[in-house]
Amino acid sequence: MTITKIKKDHLRLIFDRLKDSYKLVGPRVENDVIVLTEMDFHDIPAGYKDLHGKGVYRLSGNKDSNTFSFSLGPDSFKRFLSPPVREIFAFKKSKKGISANVSSKEEKPTAFIGMRACDISALKLYDKVFLEGPVRDTGYDSLKRNSLIIAVNCLYPNGNCFCDSLGTGPEVRDGFDLAITEIQDSFLLETGSSKGSEILNGLTIEEVSDKEMDEKNSRTEDCKKTIKRHIKVNDLPWVIYRNPEHPRWTDVASRCLACGNCTQVCPTCFCNSSYDRLELSGISKKSREISGNKVRAWDSCFSKNFARVHGGNFRPSRRARYRHWMTHKLAYWIEQFGSPGCVGCGRCITWCPVGIDITEELEAIRK
Amino acid sequence: MYDKSIPFEAKIRWIKKETRDTATYAFKITSREIERAYRFIPGQFNMLYMPGIGEAAISISSAPSDHDLTHTIRVAGDVTTAISRLDTGDVLGIRGPFGNGWPLEEIEERDLMIIAGGVGIAPLRSVIRHILNDRTEPRHVKGVRGGKISSPARIILYGSKTPKDIIFRDEFPRYRDAFQTFLTVDKADPEEYWRGDIGLITGMWNKTSFNPLNTVVFMCGPEVMMQSMVKELILKGVPGEKIFISIERNMNCGMGICGHCFFGPKFVCKDGPVFRFTDIEGFLGIKEI
Repeated sequence: MTITKIKKDHLRLIFDRLKDSYKLVGPRVENDVIVLTEMDFHDIPAGYKDLHGKGVYRLSGNKDSNTFSFSLGPDSFKRFLSPPVREIFAFKKSKKGISANVSSKEEKPTAFIGMRACDISALKLYDKVFLEGPVRDTGYDSLKRNSLIIAVNCLYPNGNCFCDSLGTGPEVRDGFDLAITEIQDSFLLETGSSKGSEILNGLTIEEVSDKEMDEKNSRTEDCKKTIKRHIKVNDLPWVIYRNPEHPRWTDVASRCLACGNCTQVCPTCFCNSSYDRLELSGISKKSREISGNKVRAWDSCFSKNFARVHGGNFRPSRRARYRHWMTHKLAYWIEQFGSPGCVGCGRCITWCPVGIDITEELEAIRK
Repeated sequence: MYDKSIPFEAKIRWIKKETRDTATYAFKITSREIERAYRFIPGQFNMLYMPGIGEAAISISSAPSDHDLTHTIRVAGDVTTAISRLDTGDVLGIRGPFGNGWPLEEIEERDLMIIAGGVGIAPLRSVIRHILNDRTEPRHVKGVRGGKISSPARIILYGSKTPKDIIFRDEFPRYRDAFQTFLTVDKADPEEYWRGDIGLITGMWNKTSFNPLNTVVFMCGPEVMMQSMVKELILKGVPGEKIFISIERNMNCGMGICGHCFFGPKFVCKDGPVFRFTDIEGFLGIKEI
């Protein structure tokens, strides 16, 4: 891993270079929220500050001289690797029989811009789910393999960040192609792969002085110090396993709306449902033909019928569904994939309409 | 290998009605290539697919050594209702096999007790037929022949609602060749001839004789039944490590990526559906887990 630096106004050149071979996906302001969409250099919400609280999000512009002055929006990069609705195959049933065909579209590979340490950790967990199971998810595999990750080291945490407690941030360590650290008057660039160093070929890159390295380290330290929220993980998963009937579950159920916002903004929530999508034009009574698509869409364990089977629902109550979600995040994940399913991004706290805070709930269960 | 996320076509070779709401369907995989690559072990399941309606996870009721691949299906939801309207020669889609299956290596030297409730007999029929088919091999010949039961002993306990709800009723005489078989029903119509038991499966202990320390239990049925059976078995002295239960949950993908089938930290589709009791003990009694 080598560290070099470029002048602040040279960052645009990297974008220009990437545009030729990649679709750029990164942060951009839409309707007063920083979302992740297709974007370009000028879309970076430079100078914006986002205020996060329990169920609170406020964005304001021109507050900071730094380019990467903002933190996280509701979107995470899972949206692009496991899209909210995705066609798995097209089916056709006719007199001749049943056929199911996978349509493969050649898409331009994606470059993910401005991915933070927590989201990189989340994608590592996604890899475990989609690539290391008994059946490899080919769709995710090809999207991920062709993508390029341009990470950004966080300068400021938002009010709901607690990545430090889980060891997932705020500093990016691996899993990127290029990592950017913003310092006073330049960007420090770390290359994490050969793809990453290729991008820098031909750019005027300069050596990094010791002073600048110190500045990078002190900025990371400052960021760590300003993280206000913490979660204790040393007694997981047992503290949750021991308390399936804790009164706090009933308490949280009285506040939880079971809207599923937390699962949609969570970068590691992966639950989905597959179903057949039929259009009227796909049904022909005369020739007895049916055609349509099998699609996979994001689902949530807060959905009422998520665990339903014929003759019963395994988790009808909201209490059980919240308990299931939190137990999965902080306990089951450890058994299933070797680490907690929480990366400490705090999105579920910001975007919960009633401001339920997972760190607070865990602390209450512990009591 | 074929892609398990895409269904392949299978044709219904024959249908056998078992009870008023349950039937056994034999399938022929259309593609020669897939048919040759398709391998399963007893206790695994397939996702049966009716295009335009959806998929249902159904366990395989035939043994790997059987000629036909069969599924025994009780009409319960949209998909199973749609399947019940199919005829011989019709086609549907199959994905699979999925799941871990019964640990057959456990019963090579040990006695086996099969406990089933209702349609839960279907995945166990696969084991039963596997043992029956295997029986012609020399090491198993001395098992039951001659009327004397020598090791390893094989027992079936099967409970259904009424005598009319007994699935595979015509096959039980054959099972008796290799198994001590005990049937019980919740209630029997007095006008119908029924010489089996009436009552819960848990009430059948006094009829069976088995050595708890040498017994492996394979069990599938309603969760309430399994929970009370496990308690009884442990009281009788069967080690929890030797009790295996097959669990039902909502299955959507079959491959451990949709999250519907969680039983505690377990993905029922890929870690199960067969679990060693001691591996899930802590989660069994919890309501709405």
